[in-house]
Amino acid sequence: MFSFIWMGLLINGIFLSAPSKNPPLYLDPGSGSYIFQLIIAALVGGAFVVKMYWSKISGFFRKLFNRDTDDTQE
Amino acid sequence: MNQFPGSPAGQPLEASFRDPNGFIFSYEGQIYRQINLQYQENYSHLVDSGLYDALLKAGLIVRHEEVNIPAVLPDRVYKIIQPDPLRFVSYPYEWSFSQHKDAARATLQIQKTALKFGMSLKDCSAFNVQFHGGRPCLIDTLSFEIYQEGKPWVAYRQFCQHFLAPLSLMAYRDMHLSQLLKIDLDGLPLDFTSRLLPWHTRMVPALLLHIHLHAASQKRYASAGSMKLDSNRQVSRNAMLGLIDSLDSAIQRLEWRRTATSWADYYRADHNYTPEALAHKKQIVIEYLEKIKPGIVWDLGANTGMFSRLASERGVFTLAFDSDPGAVELCYRESRSKNEKLLLPLLQDLTNPSPGIGWQNQERAGLIERANADAIMALALIHHLAIGNNLPFDRLASFFRRLGRWLIIEFVPKDDSQVRRLLAAREDIFYDYTIESFEHAFQKKYLIQRVEQIRGSDRRLYLMEGR
Repeated sequence: MFSFIWMGLLINGIFLSAPSKNPPLYLDPGSGSYIFQLIIAALVGGAFVVKMYWSKISGFFRKLFNRDTDDTQE
Repeated sequence: MNQFPGSPAGQPLEASFRDPNGFIFSYEGQIYRQINLQYQENYSHLVDSGLYDALLKAGLIVRHEEVNIPAVLPDRVYKIIQPDPLRFVSYPYEWSFSQHKDAARATLQIQKTALKFGMSLKDCSAFNVQFHGGRPCLIDTLSFEIYQEGKPWVAYRQFCQHFLAPLSLMAYRDMHLSQLLKIDLDGLPLDFTSRLLPWHTRMVPALLLHIHLHAASQKRYASAGSMKLDSNRQVSRNAMLGLIDSLDSAIQRLEWRRTATSWADYYRADHNYTPEALAHKKQIVIEYLEKIKPGIVWDLGANTGMFSRLASERGVFTLAFDSDPGAVELCYRESRSKNEKLLLPLLQDLTNPSPGIGWQNQERAGLIERANADAIMALALIHHLAIGNNLPFDRLASFFRRLGRWLIIEFVPKDDSQVRRLLAAREDIFYDYTIESFEHAFQKKYLIQRVEQIRGSDRRLYLMEGR
């Protein structure tokens, strides 16, 4: 769900923020890819940080749960 | 054998001209790489930072040694290295889906490791990955540059074009679309890929981002070379790691959709044989292999590699070629799960083998230019070529002879049920398809060393030695 909201914002960012007045005669896809990364940097970087924290949090609870189980077994 | 065409001794190879940091050359029959002075800082960082050792330990880069031999361009040379020789150079349009996918994931793993050591990949060409010891590894040692935090990943577009685009087309459209890489040597253009992919792939966040929006932004910002960029905008380290992670998840989720028709038959491979006949056929092939002791075997029409493994399990480097992407995929999956280092399954249509392509038709060698087999195996194949494709016996003999010295070939007579099936829907114009004509044509190119009839079958297995 969140990813689609992000995508919506991103599409907005790409197509509405920077006006393209004259279509270029010579197309260099490399420049586009370069700028595209600058635009999506916050999205992919943010998602990565959330993923890392999420795995740490879920790892913590998993350990806690396992320890509880071990304690019960003892 | 000439895996890299057009290379007089001591000259840069014809295919090695793009990178100003160095080039490949041959010298006294060996392959070397000259590293130019301008790459000194990057090469030193690769080695001194420990990145090279880390990648080597993970099996992700080809091993090399620094050597002292005459340089091809002495005024530019910094070092000369000798990489471990490859047994065979294969190309992405010859890989199965999972081979391409594993090559993609290995490339991302290399980039992740490089960032830990303060470097980044500046090239992400799928042609820089080769299957060495059964696993994908990077062969271009000069693909790294010192990482500058904040700078976007210069090889991002190339990664999408060489890996994500063909894999997503294979997964969502058709396996045969890997062949498009023969047309676009720098990978599939993203606008083209975006148009070919089904519309619903826009609902897959990673494909929406890295293919569809990426393609749209290329078009929109194509003239940005002259545009003043906002210098405050940067790609942080976390953003770079996020980009790699996102690409890896996208690749990981792509799966080959099995088609019922192609997969159904593989499990019934060799269904024409009784268990006794199959065992006897294997026994004869093993006897022939043990007699000739080849270094490299090419198994043509290998299917899922049942007979190729008779060679590879005996320590022989074996290429298992088949024209069916499904068969090659299954062969690779089995090879990967068994960690087979000596078996390389590849896609190849023998009636239209890989051509020489690229600049002067020499950047990527054709199949015949790469012929390096000591022995060719052509089992249950001749009827497909002679009857299925109207190829006369003498042309087949010449073709096999060009590929290698020894030939283990099975003759399938006309009254065999498989041949009858081939002839069921067409007129039988193959009056010369007899054992006498077969032997007569092949004896012009070969000496027949042994013939064995397979028990419980009319098929015969020949061992022939090239004249």
